[in-house]
Amino acid sequence: MKASKAVAAFDSSTGMLRALSRFLAGRDIPAIGQVPAALEIPLSALLGTLNRLPRPAQERAYAASGWAEAIPQRRVGDVRSEALAAWVTGHYPRRRYPVIFIGSTNGALVHLAAALDAAWLPQTLLLPVRRRGVAPDDPRGDLAAVEGAGRALLAANPELELHHMHDPNQDRLMIAGMTYFRVKWRRLPDAYRRFIRDHLAPGGLLVTVDCTLRWPTTQIDDRYVFQFGALGDATPEEYPQGGPRVADLLARYRAPVRHWDPPAPDGESPEAEWGLQPALLNDLSAFAEQHRLNAHVLRFDTPQRLSPAVADLYRSWYADRGLPTGRLLAESFLLLEPWWALRTGSVPYWALFGTETARAGLNAYLDTTDPYDEIRILLFNHGTDSIGLASAQDWQRTAARARKIGVLTGVDATAYPRDFASLVRSHRELSKIRARYPMPPPLNTAAAKALTARDEIDWHPA
Amino acid sequence: MQRITAAVSGRPMVAWRIGGPGPSVVCVHGAGVSSREFQPFLKVLGHRHDAWTVDLPGFGASSGPPYPLGLRALADALADWLAAVDLDPVVLLGGSFGCQVAVDAAVRHPDRIAALVLVGPTLDPAARGFVRQLLRWMRNSPHERASMAALNLADYRDAGVRRIVGAFAESLRDRIEDKLPHIHAPALVVRGDHDRLVPQEWAEEVTRLLPAGRLAVVAHVGHMVPYRRPQELAGLVTDFLAHEVPARGAGDETGPEESGAAR
Repeated sequence: MKASKAVAAFDSSTGMLRALSRFLAGRDIPAIGQVPAALEIPLSALLGTLNRLPRPAQERAYAASGWAEAIPQRRVGDVRSEALAAWVTGHYPRRRYPVIFIGSTNGALVHLAAALDAAWLPQTLLLPVRRRGVAPDDPRGDLAAVEGAGRALLAANPELELHHMHDPNQDRLMIAGMTYFRVKWRRLPDAYRRFIRDHLAPGGLLVTVDCTLRWPTTQIDDRYVFQFGALGDATPEEYPQGGPRVADLLARYRAPVRHWDPPAPDGESPEAEWGLQPALLNDLSAFAEQHRLNAHVLRFDTPQRLSPAVADLYRSWYADRGLPTGRLLAESFLLLEPWWALRTGSVPYWALFGTETARAGLNAYLDTTDPYDEIRILLFNHGTDSIGLASAQDWQRTAARARKIGVLTGVDATAYPRDFASLVRSHRELSKIRARYPMPPPLNTAAAKALTARDEIDWHPA
Repeated sequence: MQRITAAVSGRPMVAWRIGGPGPSVVCVHGAGVSSREFQPFLKVLGHRHDAWTVDLPGFGASSGPPYPLGLRALADALADWLAAVDLDPVVLLGGSFGCQVAVDAAVRHPDRIAALVLVGPTLDPAARGFVRQLLRWMRNSPHERASMAALNLADYRDAGVRRIVGAFAESLRDRIEDKLPHIHAPALVVRGDHDRLVPQEWAEEVTRLLPAGRLAVVAHVGHMVPYRRPQELAGLVTDFLAHEVPARGAGDETGPEESGAAR
């Protein structure tokens, strides 16, 4: 089966892959890279009309969009890991890169890679699988319904590990008609090996991105784990144990239950979406040794950790170039714009999601850094009033910490978090900012080593 | 509300005032119109602050010369009027073209201006041209209140065709963007989020060019924020004055020449 059909379009890995590969080809990402730029205005209008639908209709439309891009269960066994890897590497312009990152998915890393003119090869991809007749609040039912498809996938792809993820909090609309299969490469696929051999500049760096975040999981089979819940505002304990916030969410969505009953966890695994499966490290070390590559590891404990570091790196880069350093662009999940960040002289700060935890992270960063004149905040709309989601008004308060201009860009505050048009509007509004700067030459790799000075980030030779 | 008439260059200039604590906030109207559109706002802002709205020469109730005055002459008349009514440095609050008058006055008479509030500042240089502005005005119209049309017609009758055309022509000619960087007084830029005459990127550019500018966006309103959202605008002005403008003594509760209640 074609890899492009199997992989989710609206996922962190694919969104970031599109953003970075388009940046490296000298392009921005209108409509998050999903439609030609010429269709941006009519698409924005079309999605804007969706915003006017009653809430149940909006939620059905959102769930249907997820179902539409998922693959039928019977086709899951046809997915081939090599085809997925070749699809990833096919995104990048055919040239040499001074740095190639490989591993964890991370929005701040996309900006680091953009600054260094580096490619990034994700370890994790999301394969959405169609599934009917299971309520979002029935994790056991979900597992039972797709377990066979999971085994078929693994039987055909011995180098993959499957993290079946079920998050009735943040993904409850999406999982109405589909299941999240996140696959991680335990070994370096051939397409990645070829890409590194052919496209890493002589003397270049091969950097493994190792986000060490873990999450409770249930082992289903060899290379097959089930993860209930996901990184957001709810804690790993809150998901299985329940509590007032869980009960409140379920009451708001008129679920028949007030807590969940997931399969009991029997251990911890790398977090399905963000964590690195460390088995890949061994294979990478051997590959680097065989080809005498300069291999490094960039390690941090949670995805958000990299955001302040990369923001500071950009800020000092702008200062070195004699540009103003007072403009911040806070991005959200897969809404990110490396090209426009540099063209508008914006310091990028990537927020994992629109949660209170993510907002607290941004506020903490603003507490420790010199004030910004302008703060723009993009908000990804995931359609769900999930646990601990900060409101648009909360985010506006954070934006208002700017000395001059503090705005939510491309956000309809009254429609958030069901503002579908924001996927298109964010880029349009960003591209209208009038103060612009020429695209700089890439940052010297040595300059990025400033990250090594930070206690919370570990960047060392492998 | 007091109606106050003061002579400027031998002609009466008419203003309305609701007294309150200082600093005085003086509202300056847009092209072809008059203080009428500011009356609802004045009623909200007055008592909280010493609030004024003035008709520029030739508009509303103020007399003007037979020929239309240019932007610079309007700004000078405004500065002369501030001297005539003997106000301490004031906060000038411009609406639309009134922002261009206020900015010109602030650049050339900085000692008279303590701060600026620019509500829907014209004119976006990216759409400098009669047709483009007309198209923007038409796109903005659905976001305005129908009751404003009657006020506009009364204003146009008072001003006459020559002055209306003259004011719009001045608005198109004026390069406000060249002056903004020279205003060192604190400035608040206010934009209605549905304002089609003043797109977000232009409001941001205005704020960016002002050395001490700050932007506030009012939700669900078009160009005429003072008329449609007087409460919200008054709240923004009060916050701005509290945080950005050094406190001064209470405003003088009497005007130089009172002539009864407002129309």
